[in-house]
Amino acid sequence: MTNDVLILCAAGMLVTAYLMVAQKALFTTIRLYGVQSLLLGILAATIAATESQPELFVTAAVTVALKAVLIPWFLMRVIDRIGIHREIEPFLSVPASLLVCVGLTVIGYRVSTGFPEGARGVSHHLIGVALSMLWIGLFLMVTRKKAITQILALLTVENAVFLVAVGVTSGMPLVVELGVAFDVILAVLLLGILVHRIVERFESMDVSRLTKLKG
Amino acid sequence: MSTIDALIAIGLAVLQAAGLLAAAPLLKTTIKKMKARLQNRQGPPWRQGYYDLAKLLSKEPVRSADASWIYVAGPRVYFAAAVAATLLVPVLLAAAPLEAAGGILLLVGTLAVGRFALAVAALDTGSPFGGMGASRDMTIAALAEPALMLCLLTSALAAGSLNLGVLVRDLLQQGPSFHPSDMLALAGLFIIIIAETGRIPVDNPATHLELTMIHEAMVLEYAGPDLALVESASALKELLYLTLLVDLFIPAGIATSATPGAIVVGLVAWAGKIFLLAVAITLAESTNAKLRLFRVPELVSVSLGLAFLALAIRFL
Repeated sequence: MTNDVLILCAAGMLVTAYLMVAQKALFTTIRLYGVQSLLLGILAATIAATESQPELFVTAAVTVALKAVLIPWFLMRVIDRIGIHREIEPFLSVPASLLVCVGLTVIGYRVSTGFPEGARGVSHHLIGVALSMLWIGLFLMVTRKKAITQILALLTVENAVFLVAVGVTSGMPLVVELGVAFDVILAVLLLGILVHRIVERFESMDVSRLTKLKG
Repeated sequence: MSTIDALIAIGLAVLQAAGLLAAAPLLKTTIKKMKARLQNRQGPPWRQGYYDLAKLLSKEPVRSADASWIYVAGPRVYFAAAVAATLLVPVLLAAAPLEAAGGILLLVGTLAVGRFALAVAALDTGSPFGGMGASRDMTIAALAEPALMLCLLTSALAAGSLNLGVLVRDLLQQGPSFHPSDMLALAGLFIIIIAETGRIPVDNPATHLELTMIHEAMVLEYAGPDLALVESASALKELLYLTLLVDLFIPAGIATSATPGAIVVGLVAWAGKIFLLAVAITLAESTNAKLRLFRVPELVSVSLGLAFLALAIRFL
């Protein structure tokens, strides 16, 4: 039963990562990230309940409050304030990106069988999903032009790392978790300001224009 | 098999087809009604689907002077294919009436025959709308069909059989065990159902706007009983797809023996699960805007990607 919930949440996160690759509307992508974080929170809470580790409840609560509510809200606000065109412009077409991501997921899953932990059962799927999401996040980062989508890609990578930390090792110490949480929110804030500056300077969020800065 | 057994089997088959045919308009009206409620409207009465069919059936068929027999045969073949397909899917009982005839391959093939007949019939009169609708419908179908096959094969791989009846019984016997590929295939199948039944991100069933319609454009020229056949077959197909999804991913509650008690439990479970899916479809329709036609292949390729991945993960 517990294992089913864990796998359901992890697989759900993978599906949201895929939909993020396929989605062109910026707001929907942000909402998908919110759903992904919510699933991560449920996963952490499930592990907390079954392995009776009360600190993980704090982690789950922080995850949901921060990543499922606060960060999406903040990003949407940034987009509203800048008033940019709300479509994502990828370098690669959607079907091609999906094809690449299918390949990346297969690699991620294959690699996960190499871990001594990952050879069987739930851990195999959790590590597989996390590695796939890591790849997909990195892929999103290099194929998207808008600075906001790159923040989302970074956050997806962070979610993937978190998934391994919580799912396989049943959580890092609470201090580390809190530190990471604050790091994430600081990073998003800073990147939000950076995006503002980029838009001010170039009147666009297209990071490929940054090459103009070269002399 | 004795004659009496054969008669019972035929009776069950007729009963299942007739039951689904009768329930299908209700599903359509339910989704319409829930959508209307979300928009603060009253929505049509529950029996509207039946009224519409009765109205169409009482009219006389109006056919173009240029129409050949293909035009007349189209809706009939479409309807017959949809009814035949229902006999291959387990609904209340964990066995399909025509299980011996074939499984997944036959099901997808039968549905394809119906679609082909309707598309050819739409081209028959040479009207631009029919041709445009047929070409669009075929474009989407060409992308959705492989994805549908892959999703179904993912489940078949888990059970080790292409036969839907065997598949459902196997799933029940294994008990609830969850694999990530189930989730991926489920998401893929849901997108396919939306695309195949002409729901909102792909097609809008409520309008007849020239530029956007797909399925409606294909059947634009039909009137009277011909249109009634097309409409009820489309509704039946929608119910069939939802039943298929329920069978493959949430089979709990389906009757394993033909006792009255088990059948009643199966009926309640089936109706409940279909209702929940109808709610999901309503939400998907209400929260999404219709996609531009050229973006539809992107959406369907998502489901193809998910389905392919679901199949790949089974082996890893």
